[in-house]
Amino acid sequence: MAGAVGARIARSDSHFDKIAFTYYDGDVGVFRKHWLLWTVLAILLVSAGSLIWLQRGDGHVPLGPQQAVKTINPKVGIHTRLTDEVEEWKIKRTLEMVREMGAPWIVEYFPWAYIESEPGRYNWKHADTVVAHARRQGLRIIARLGFVPQWARPKDTTPLYLDEERFGDFGKFAAKFVERYRGEIEHVILWNEPNLALEWGYTKPDAAKYTELLRVVYPMIKAVAPEVQVLAGALAPTLAPPDSEFGVNDLLFLQAMYDAGAANYFDILAVHAYGWHFDPDSPPDPEVVNFRRTELLRSIMVKNGDGQKPVMITEGGWNDHPRWTRAVRPGERIAYTLRAYEIAQKEWPWLEAVCFWVFRFPWDQKSYQDYFTFVRTDFEPKPIYWEVQRYTRASAP
Amino acid sequence: MTQRGRIWLVVAGVVALLGIGALGLNERAQEALGLSFLRRDETWEAIQQRGAWRVGLDPSFPPFEMLDAAGTPIGYDVDLAHALAASWGVRAEIVAIGFDSLPDALKAGKIDSIISAYPYDERLTQDFHFSTPYFDAGLRIAVRNDSTINELTDLAGARVGVEWGGLGDMVGRRLVREGLQITVKPFETPSELIAALLETDAVDAILIDNVLLRQAQASDLPLRAVGAPLESVPYAIVTPRRADELQRRLEISLQQLKADGRLDELEHRWFAKNVTENVAP
Repeated sequence: MAGAVGARIARSDSHFDKIAFTYYDGDVGVFRKHWLLWTVLAILLVSAGSLIWLQRGDGHVPLGPQQAVKTINPKVGIHTRLTDEVEEWKIKRTLEMVREMGAPWIVEYFPWAYIESEPGRYNWKHADTVVAHARRQGLRIIARLGFVPQWARPKDTTPLYLDEERFGDFGKFAAKFVERYRGEIEHVILWNEPNLALEWGYTKPDAAKYTELLRVVYPMIKAVAPEVQVLAGALAPTLAPPDSEFGVNDLLFLQAMYDAGAANYFDILAVHAYGWHFDPDSPPDPEVVNFRRTELLRSIMVKNGDGQKPVMITEGGWNDHPRWTRAVRPGERIAYTLRAYEIAQKEWPWLEAVCFWVFRFPWDQKSYQDYFTFVRTDFEPKPIYWEVQRYTRASAP
Repeated sequence: MTQRGRIWLVVAGVVALLGIGALGLNERAQEALGLSFLRRDETWEAIQQRGAWRVGLDPSFPPFEMLDAAGTPIGYDVDLAHALAASWGVRAEIVAIGFDSLPDALKAGKIDSIISAYPYDERLTQDFHFSTPYFDAGLRIAVRNDSTINELTDLAGARVGVEWGGLGDMVGRRLVREGLQITVKPFETPSELIAALLETDAVDAILIDNVLLRQAQASDLPLRAVGAPLESVPYAIVTPRRADELQRRLEISLQQLKADGRLDELEHRWFAKNVTENVAP
């Protein structure tokens, strides 16, 4: 009996071996016959896996609970610099720290070229991330738009150059932008410092041409989101002499904008209010760049019958580099900054926000620019951060 | 030809081919293989032919570089450039360029080097070479000469002065957050800070950047630095990445200047109290 069973097992094993051998032999045969197919399949699998891995990025960073900014001064703001910030946790941390500082407003740059690198093809991923985190922190975003994609400008021009024939393309982008973020972003700035040759594609700054840009783009924005407030100007404060190759005096440029009919094509004037080495109470003077130069720009608005429009400071502040000629001592920077926030709140009812340059850079600039920041690249707060926080929290509800 | 002769011919051919190949390697591969000696230093050759070393700097950063009343660049870095050039038998030609444009000017070959209180920047090392730092402008702990404080840990229980809002203030607040038992006392200006240490005895130590410290020491004030720098900001001389010979000469000359006391002499000359008088605003 045992022998019979053993014989069956032996046969069975032998049969199994044969089947297994045949199967193995067959598999090799199939592979040999279709090696190209298997190779292509393997490549496709690896590629798909890699794509999925790449797409997942650093992992989704939870938005967290809805937050609100606590501050005694609702005009306090800051220009963030998240354009080149890749890692999502750093975007979130930056915006958390802005909220914790007590600043309800941020200005952030959304470069056209980054979003629409090919005509009609939009990549909103980074912009979505910034907007979602900012909104979750309870921040109001003033979106700066500009930076021309290569397809929308002539060869050998800089991304800050835009032909008049392309103003409509910029308008389409701006309209797409406000449409996408409707209800989330209520303010957009059109271009930056158009009175500087550098910011105007290394061509002579031209107030009439900039006004034409406003005339084209403004109605395109209003057509899709009439409630969105369009900011214009954002002029660099400069005492450039007439015919300077570098730029046009901001006071003259603003008047030239009005002369060209700009009043109908913006809702709020964006102002860059740098103090250089003057305190914020230094009186306004056309021959001086200081914080109260803002009042001179405002007076031009009033003179042109545009006094009902508000103003927003979208860049400005003081620098505390140890030896840069336009810097102040760190203590002065703190005192001047806090005083400027007070002036904005108590003396300038026509001013809606004061957003100083700059909260933090993604990496050190290794120049005086690092001394405009409130927080270091590694997120270590500078004393000015703590002092602004102390100011905004004093009796804050 | 004999068998042995043919073998040698083949070996010689292979060696020649390898040599030609090595010359054609890119600079990174040459460096990786230790073959950087094969390439020519065109920067150094041009300096020799010209008889001048073109040094870029931004003359807006006293006492390192600034303009005198006549508009001529002067300062620590200017003198350093002249001293280095003299050691190679050439003259230094100072080229004034805005700080942010200095790397572009070097890359474009408009200048041969940068000496402009230029902090080491690891992001630029793909294109440029940074010398051994010749000055560290970072943050130091300073105490009176007769103080018993000799290092960071000795600060426990001490009153530490800082300039309000400055780097020292930031680091002081950080040290407190990290648990060091110190009382941070802010002062509005560096003069008040130093006076608090040396005159009013309001603090036991101060946190101060090295330039201000050297300026105070050059004015014979009785204070000294203790411990390691709390923040390092090393200034280095920047040269094109491929300028091997210039870099080699630079290192030798810098060591010589250090060894024979001329770097100290430069510091004393330019960090002394009234040196920035007669400087254009």
